[in-house]
Amino acid sequence: MQNDAVLTMRGIDKQFPGTKALNKVDFTLRKGEIHALMGENGAGKSTLIKVLTGVHEKDGGSIWVEGVDGEAHIHSPQDAQNIGIATVYQEITLCPNLTVAENMFIGRTQGQRVHWKEYEKRATEILDNLGIPARAKQELSSCSLAVQQMVAIARAVDMNCKVLILDEPTSSLDDKEVEMLFGLMRDLKNRGVGIIFVTHFLEQVYEVSDRITVLRNGELVGEFAIEDLPQVELVAKMMGKDLNDLADLEQVGAKHEATGEVIYEAENLSSSESRAFDFNIHKGEVNGFTGLLGSGRSESVRAIFGADRVTGGKVKVKGQEVKISKPHEAMKAGIGYLPEDRKKDGIIADLSVRENIILAMQVMKGFFHPMSRSQMEAFADEYIKALSIKTASQETPVGSLSGGNQQKVILARWLLTHPDYLILDEPTRGIDVGTKLEIQKLVLKLANEENMSITFISSEIEEMLRTCSRLIVMRDRNIVGELTGDQLTQAQVMKTIAGGEQ
Amino acid sequence: MSNLQTAPRQSLWTRVTNPKFIMVYATIGLFLLIYLFGAIPYGDVGFTTLRTFTTLFVDNAYYGISAIGMTMVLITGGIDLSVGAVASLTGMLIAYGTTVMGIHPLICMGFALIVGVGLGLLMGWVIHYLNVPPFITTLTGMFLARGVCSLISRESIEINHPLIDDLASWKIYFMQLKDGEWVKIKPSAYINLNVIIFFVMLLIGIYLLQRTRFGRNIYAIGGSEQSAKLMGLPVGRTKVLVYGFNGLCSVLAGITYALYVKSGWNLSLQGAELDVITCAVIGGTLLTGGVGYMIGTLFGVMLKGLIPALITFNGNLLSWWGKIATGLLLLLFICIQRIVVKTTDRRKGKKRAPVKS
Repeated sequence: MQNDAVLTMRGIDKQFPGTKALNKVDFTLRKGEIHALMGENGAGKSTLIKVLTGVHEKDGGSIWVEGVDGEAHIHSPQDAQNIGIATVYQEITLCPNLTVAENMFIGRTQGQRVHWKEYEKRATEILDNLGIPARAKQELSSCSLAVQQMVAIARAVDMNCKVLILDEPTSSLDDKEVEMLFGLMRDLKNRGVGIIFVTHFLEQVYEVSDRITVLRNGELVGEFAIEDLPQVELVAKMMGKDLNDLADLEQVGAKHEATGEVIYEAENLSSSESRAFDFNIHKGEVNGFTGLLGSGRSESVRAIFGADRVTGGKVKVKGQEVKISKPHEAMKAGIGYLPEDRKKDGIIADLSVRENIILAMQVMKGFFHPMSRSQMEAFADEYIKALSIKTASQETPVGSLSGGNQQKVILARWLLTHPDYLILDEPTRGIDVGTKLEIQKLVLKLANEENMSITFISSEIEEMLRTCSRLIVMRDRNIVGELTGDQLTQAQVMKTIAGGEQ
Repeated sequence: MSNLQTAPRQSLWTRVTNPKFIMVYATIGLFLLIYLFGAIPYGDVGFTTLRTFTTLFVDNAYYGISAIGMTMVLITGGIDLSVGAVASLTGMLIAYGTTVMGIHPLICMGFALIVGVGLGLLMGWVIHYLNVPPFITTLTGMFLARGVCSLISRESIEINHPLIDDLASWKIYFMQLKDGEWVKIKPSAYINLNVIIFFVMLLIGIYLLQRTRFGRNIYAIGGSEQSAKLMGLPVGRTKVLVYGFNGLCSVLAGITYALYVKSGWNLSLQGAELDVITCAVIGGTLLTGGVGYMIGTLFGVMLKGLIPALITFNGNLLSWWGKIATGLLLLLFICIQRIVVKTTDRRKGKKRAPVKS
């Protein structure tokens, strides 16, 4: 055990039914450092964090924490808190209906009585001290997500934590909010708190971290100082292969120009959530909607699929005028839609992988024409292999898969219906680099080899530039430009979004 | 930090129009409106007298007591369908114990208290630790309690005991000074033991919810049970205690009801659980949990009591109109709740993040 280490984990093992989630993993956190924990989905990051916070119990190995004599035994989140390990999760784990001060102090005060004045005073002190722009008496739900995140951190810090775990804290924040959060993290680091930072954003890792520990398939790849590990190498280490794949993709990305027949055409289409717009897509074309979050990208494709109430406009599918006002009608017309929020609109977590895959197919066939068990199994098998979905079996509940694999299951669901036109809304959000590449490749393959038309939406412009041959740019709920060919550069996209001249 | 912004100051207006309170205001407002609505045509026949007002409480105390516990249960995001049956069972235990077995009523009440609180704690335990939905668990509890009622007796049993008579007839009259002497106001208005129990429980409820850690935990669980767990709050213990407390309220409601009707009957208070839930919901408690105030529940109970009073004063309407009016009221409030929740969601808007590139 090193002298300046606040946390030392050695030889951590964790076995889940069917998989070895962690295999002899070592991890060391020093005083006053920001330590990034990196790895693809399913690499064991979450499991390691959960072992550390007492959500899961380890099967083997030892944990030492500064200030605890001998090995630390962590059996519950409460134990972890008591020895100074605090966690701030991706989803805000505070109560939106309580005030900021209440959220900071609930569960850790003495005695049964609540002393409002005192808590409010202390909360104000802490908020001022950390420079968090929130008021103690404010209701939490009236704060922005970033501030809520910071309140969660303030709560953790005030508990005298030595180890602060930030699990994907930035995934729903905008750039400015991320900056604020980083400011707070650096501040805490200078006060000697050890911070474990888990994120998917590589740039962010390089912006704040001092060290990186990389995991892959439940095993330790290594621990590196940030200077010794360029970004490209980090990606390679996480994926366990060279970066040729990236180059491959550039090649696959020989996007062919849309020449085929127009597969879908909308004129003045509008819905309860989106303004009227014109849109068309050719056979085998990959196009995309881009724009800031909230510019109406998702709303537009939802209108195409009939997911919101359609209020007007003409729609032609393969030259034939059709009426699409419900998702079911869109599916009948050969349109598939992979929603932005897979947890809310996509997967049915308690059903098995097989059931989730055949769901759309079953809807298409109608519920009075059940599929045979063997047929369903054959289909499920085919797509689990085709998309290399990592699952213990067909019958595993989807909810227990990692985010990227859940996304693949939904993708499989739509591919099974063989749509002519597939809409993918943020299919790569919250999943790791490797799976992202796989999905991008798959998109191009579907377009090139199966002549499928695809609309692809992503918050990462690079990803869209790599896959789309035409970009529709939106601002404030209106289409403000269309970019093709040579115009498809990051600079041009940004310019169009920002509203500069074409 | 350089990019420190000042937090938006909450103006008095935003604090007062906090959607959490809107429901309470709506209830109070509607109460006043309906009261006025009754006062204009029936003012001259005694609608506006103190007597009518106190009768609201005398006639509805047992609902009110039960609604206090129910409010807590609803704030945690749960529901308890067993309250009517448990109150009825309490009445049966007292009636059968005193009249048939000759046991002192206080002992019967104590026994009922153990049974009711015990059942509440048990249901809370099943709900939390066995993860059975509250609806199912308490439905089972309701059948169980109702079944035991019928097992004891299928006939109505009168309660004849001097203590019960004394408690039931004990009243505090409102007095006024007339010609140097204290006399009862006319028409006489009084409150009885039931009303006092109601208000004592109401104060206890307010104290528990607003001033104790237990109360904060209740709100936290209703806001997000998952978060509450991760913040290290005693979620299980709190939920079990809430159902236990609700059991206590059910028993007290049963005792006050027994004092009110001076008998026990196995089929009494059927459907009362829904009336009790109605009181809480009309009072601004969200069925989804996290929001609710005792003061709202108080007005919910008064509002629910006001409608039958109006019908009585009218004299021509069938009492079923009361049910219909209550139903409409409930519908109205649930709609308002949805609208309030929707508009506040819109007002806050989703945080929009710019493109990461």
